Amino acid sequence: MRPSEMAAGNGDSRSRSIRMKESWRAGDRSQAARLLIGLLVILAVVTFVASIMTGAADASLGNLLRWLTGTETAEQALSLRDRIIILDIRLPRAVLGLLVGAALAVSGAVMQGLFRNPLADPGLVGVSSGASLGAVLIIVLGSNLFGPVFAVFGFYTLPIAAFFGGLGTTLLLYRIATRSGQTSVATMLLAGIALAALAGAITGVLIFVADDQQLRDLTFWGLGSLAGASWTKVLAAAPIIVLSLLVVPFLARGLNALTLGEAAAFHMGVPVQRLKNVAIVSVAAATGASVAVSGGIGFVGIVVPHVIRLVIGPDHRFLLPASALLGGTLLIFADMIARTIVPPAELPIGIITAFAGAPFFLWILLRGRSHMGL
Amino acid sequence: MIKVSNLSVRLSGKQVLHGVELEALAGKLTAIVGPNGSGKTTTLRAIAGEASYDGSVSINGYNIASLKPWELALKRAVLPQATVISFPFTVREIVRMGLAVGANTHPEEIDRIAQEALEAVDLAGFAGRFYQELSGGEQQRVQLARALCQIWEPVRNGEPAFLLLDEPVSSLDIRHQLTIMRLARNFCSRGGGVIAIMHDLNLTAMFADHMVMMKNGRVHAAGRPQEVMTDAVMENVFGCPMRVNATPTDAVPFVLPHTADA
Ligand SMILES: Nc1ncnc2c1ncn2[C@@H]1O[C@H](COP(=O)(O)OP(=O)(O)OP(=O)(O)O)[C@@H](O)[C@H]1O
Ligand SMILES: [Mg+2]
Repeated sequence: MRPSEMAAGNGDSRSRSIRMKESWRAGDRSQAARLLIGLLVILAVVTFVASIMTGAADASLGNLLRWLTGTETAEQALSLRDRIIILDIRLPRAVLGLLVGAALAVSGAVMQGLFRNPLADPGLVGVSSGASLGAVLIIVLGSNLFGPVFAVFGFYTLPIAAFFGGLGTTLLLYRIATRSGQTSVATMLLAGIALAALAGAITGVLIFVADDQQLRDLTFWGLGSLAGASWTKVLAAAPIIVLSLLVVPFLARGLNALTLGEAAAFHMGVPVQRLKNVAIVSVAAATGASVAVSGGIGFVGIVVPHVIRLVIGPDHRFLLPASALLGGTLLIFADMIARTIVPPAELPIGIITAFAGAPFFLWILLRGRSHMGL
Repeated sequence: MIKVSNLSVRLSGKQVLHGVELEALAGKLTAIVGPNGSGKTTTLRAIAGEASYDGSVSINGYNIASLKPWELALKRAVLPQATVISFPFTVREIVRMGLAVGANTHPEEIDRIAQEALEAVDLAGFAGRFYQELSGGEQQRVQLARALCQIWEPVRNGEPAFLLLDEPVSSLDIRHQLTIMRLARNFCSRGGGVIAIMHDLNLTAMFADHMVMMKNGRVHAAGRPQEVMTDAVMENVFGCPMRVNATPTDAVPFVLPHTADA
């Protein structure tokens, strides 16, 4: 039934009011959204457990369950070697994948809401490059110039540096691309390319002066990988990511209102400037922390929110948590592929997300060209 | 009451408003009319609190500069000249956004109000449609429903609320022009206040209690439509000599473009 017929008003008033109710229900996607979030929670748990069990060394589900449910202690259920592999290698890796995936997807969703454009993504518009620059700066010049900083912040130095790199880029980008409350997509994307190139050039100079050990540290940046996951890295990234993920739900209503424009959001009672500040800082923090521990992993931030929007619509109250769940799940899943597809070697996870994400991105472009003002 | 005194606004270095004085009473429909570029939208944006200005604007005695966005949102709702949205929200979702800040938080109450607001703008069957797939006039009415939801009670805690409408009927067909103007009148008769920017002088004369005629960023004339709509004012403000007539029974002024000299 076409809704336009519903409004035509012919037909008796009872059937008209039934149609009204139907249309009213059709306009509501919150039930579907709750259902989807429930399913995503289950999917996340299943993927998480699967990833702990998958790999060269086998750890059977039975053994794992006996340990997890407490029927047997870890010593009884698993061999020492298995325990080390599971507890010190796979578990931190899965946790890191979950955190980074959630951070990237939510950063993408928030940034898209902020710029009012479905193509905004920290990776695409140079925020990740800025964050990388911050981190590379620390790796290369760290021991000499930033020694005291290291002494104060310890292993948080890298995430913090990446945070400031990301923050700088985001602020700059926002200044360049937004004029009197309107964001120009073309300017945003082009400015993002320019900023990414600039950050890349500076990074290049730093690599040029780096020594061998630093070079080996740096190689991992370009590719994007969870391979170096450890509890230390989890500890370094988790507080920042979790903190920014906890802030983000409070942005949901504001981001919804922002869809109608900055003026309309203000009319509806949203403190727009504060919303923008908080959004920019949390995007920079989440992206920075992710980049610091896993390098540049692309396309998660653009693909995941887009898929969610297709299913449950753009309401940020549901979009943000659903993106976090799907982002985390997808990254764990991609990581499982990354470390099992060419054994015993490992593919950098960035390659996999790019292989899956880039064509998807092109598809979004082709499909939604008319909607996006391109 | 909304009181604007000595309002001046500069935009990109250009003085757009020069000491505008304006009063809009609760229970009255105040219309702002004037040629393109005369400063109507700029005035409304200053009243809404979104633009910076010199002078003072107060709602019910509160200086709007001292109110937080969410406090303002309970005192006035705004319908912009046009609204483009960036994500595919449904009509229902958009209209309910108007209730996100308001005093009503009970889900069923929100649903009822949103539904009634949609009916009030004659879009009862449109809840399930995507906003971006509506016609211009339909979009404008959805936005009006959204604004209505925000201040659903014209009087809250003894304080009147105000609807600020920028060309609410410009893109509507004649039937819906009447629907919306009646709706605005109804809001006034229940104790709220309305400021509407209008281009249709005849509709204005029919529905407005108070008419503010602007020209070149200044208030040129203000008063009841009968007082403001005169041959002299028409010619002076619009630069277009026309004869103002009056309906035989209740002497509502009207102008026909036919009477304009070539
Ligand atoms: N951002 C801006 N920068 C500079 N001048 C502006 C800006 N916006 C509006 N103006 C100018 O201010 C004047 C008043 O504009 P305003 O939008 O208030 O007119 P209006 O009365 O609402 O006209 P219309 O009937 O066309 O909607 C115009 O001369 C316009 O050119
Ligand atoms: Mg205007």
